[in-house]
Amino acid sequence: MSQGVTASGSSRLGMSLAFPASIVVLLIIMVPILLMFRYSFNEFDPRTMMKEGFTLQNYINFFTDSYYRKVFTDTLSVAAICTLLALVMGFPVAYFLAKTQTRFKSILIILLVFPLMVGNVVRAAGWMVILGNAGAVNALLIWLGVIAEPLKLLYTPLAVVIGTTAVVLPFMILTLQSVLEGIDFAVEEAARNLGANQFTTFFRVILPIAAPGVAAGTMLVFILCMNAYATPVLLGGSGITMMAPSLYGQIAKASNWPFGSSMALILVVATMTIALTSSWLIHRRYVKTMTS
Amino acid sequence: MAKVSLLNLRKQFGSAVAVSDFSLDIEDGELVAFLGPSGCGKTTTLRMIAGFIDPTAGRILIGDTDVTTVPVHKRNTGMVFQRYALFPHMTVAHNVSFGLEMRKIDAAERDRRINLALDMVRMSEYRDRYPRQLSGGQQQRVAIARALAIEPKVFLLDEPLSNLDAKLRLEVRDEIRALQQRLGLTTVFVTHDQEEALALSDRMAIMHDGKVQQVGTPDSLYEKPANLFVADFLGKMSFFEGHRSADSTFLTQAGTTLKVDGMTDRAQCIGVRPERISLSSAPELDNSLHATVESVAYLGANIDVALIDQQGQKISCHLPNTQAYQRGVPIKPGSIFYANFLGSDCVVFTDLDRA
Repeated sequence: MSQGVTASGSSRLGMSLAFPASIVVLLIIMVPILLMFRYSFNEFDPRTMMKEGFTLQNYINFFTDSYYRKVFTDTLSVAAICTLLALVMGFPVAYFLAKTQTRFKSILIILLVFPLMVGNVVRAAGWMVILGNAGAVNALLIWLGVIAEPLKLLYTPLAVVIGTTAVVLPFMILTLQSVLEGIDFAVEEAARNLGANQFTTFFRVILPIAAPGVAAGTMLVFILCMNAYATPVLLGGSGITMMAPSLYGQIAKASNWPFGSSMALILVVATMTIALTSSWLIHRRYVKTMTS
Repeated sequence: MAKVSLLNLRKQFGSAVAVSDFSLDIEDGELVAFLGPSGCGKTTTLRMIAGFIDPTAGRILIGDTDVTTVPVHKRNTGMVFQRYALFPHMTVAHNVSFGLEMRKIDAAERDRRINLALDMVRMSEYRDRYPRQLSGGQQQRVAIARALAIEPKVFLLDEPLSNLDAKLRLEVRDEIRALQQRLGLTTVFVTHDQEEALALSDRMAIMHDGKVQQVGTPDSLYEKPANLFVADFLGKMSFFEGHRSADSTFLTQAGTTLKVDGMTDRAQCIGVRPERISLSSAPELDNSLHATVESVAYLGANIDVALIDQQGQKISCHLPNTQAYQRGVPIKPGSIFYANFLGSDCVVFTDLDRA
């Protein structure tokens, strides 16, 4: 009894201690978003920059301008492709890590985390060295005699997809691995014993059980891809423009805060809608059945 | 169901020999238990029969077919795993249905066989539940139904009772035995629990260090163990080391002379089961050792008494409750008795290799 009182007392103390910090965090996160939300309904005035108002014109401009529509759809496409690539490449690695008995497992995980310690800009610079006209790939292909003139690899959507996928892959693998780690792989043997080949075993047993991990990893990686900034700027150049660099340009270079704010909100809402919907779909398909 | 033959089966992991030269014929409808301490190779052998492990050498026959190189999913064995391994994302009915779907059995027939299998283990009313909504015993039953619904040629059980509590373990054990006999299932049952193996099996194979020590019916193994390992593993025994001194006479190292039936020249050790030894205040039977009680363990229906004789020889005695408490003399540490047994109660061993 006295223990119960102490426990609830200490949890109340904990809550009261966490309260001020929580308020500060909430303000730090929410205030900029709310401000942006408000700005996005203002008007742009070339002289005074921003005029208080309440108009949907910024949103209308965005969706009626074919340039911005392309920025938007390119961003969605790149994010979707990178997420899918990360899932397809990450799953086998996560699966191996979850099942392996090797004593080098912790080293493998450190290797996986290592790229996260190097900033995106530095890694993008690395890709520039590899993909540039005089870069490693072109040099090798010319040396092999496959091509005579260097291919244009850098400043293309392909370069952005490669660079972004490389950035998000560790996040996908670590998320999947943490879920796969919890699977009792005897179910795999049970399925094989009941007559399923490896293919069927994977798609009917392992994948559905891993669905929560797939949902979490996909959501996390998709959000990261949608909001990528450094990688698309450095590797995409003028070949492809994505939302984050484009809206930064509006705010910082064109000083059009209302339009930049509306782009930011469109990006946030689109990201959230797609991430939550897909994760909800995966949950409805696989996860609900396991927890009900 | 079919007969299973293991021919000189061997499995090596690197330089470690897990199973060596295992040959055994399991008859149609027979339940054979593989019994041994952990690491003896029993599970490895079971997994070789199921096809999860490829033998290094030797052959496996199910019926008349050599399945040594047949992949797991085409072997048609029904396995129950130690931790059940039910599919957590499928209902009970779907779990049972899985193997039938793999065999492309049509929906109507599938439904019939799901019902049949679930009825068999009394789990019909749980068909729409998920595994996590079931108790351990219920999950076990579903695992059995799932393995049997596919009408396998061999029924394989890998320590299926080790995760159940004591009372449930007895219940499920008896159910498995009843089911196995009713359906005439050729069954291999892996366990480290000797009592389980004794109660369940038609025959048992006792394994140690990758080698089969002895194969036989439970009573023959218990009454006539082939070596000290089998004797020691299947219950307790009092051992007397020494040598043959004359016909039917064994001289222990401590200098006691015992009358022993079935004596051979190479006898090195004599063993007597604890329940074959009786206690009395005057010498009885062929052999009587004057001994002091060291400790008494009260087990309810039985009493375990540990004694030590004047030569320092340890004797363990297992008395039925009625016998222990009808005598006038209380059995307690320090009391002195004669420990008596017949020459025919002795088992003769020709080696001293207990481990």
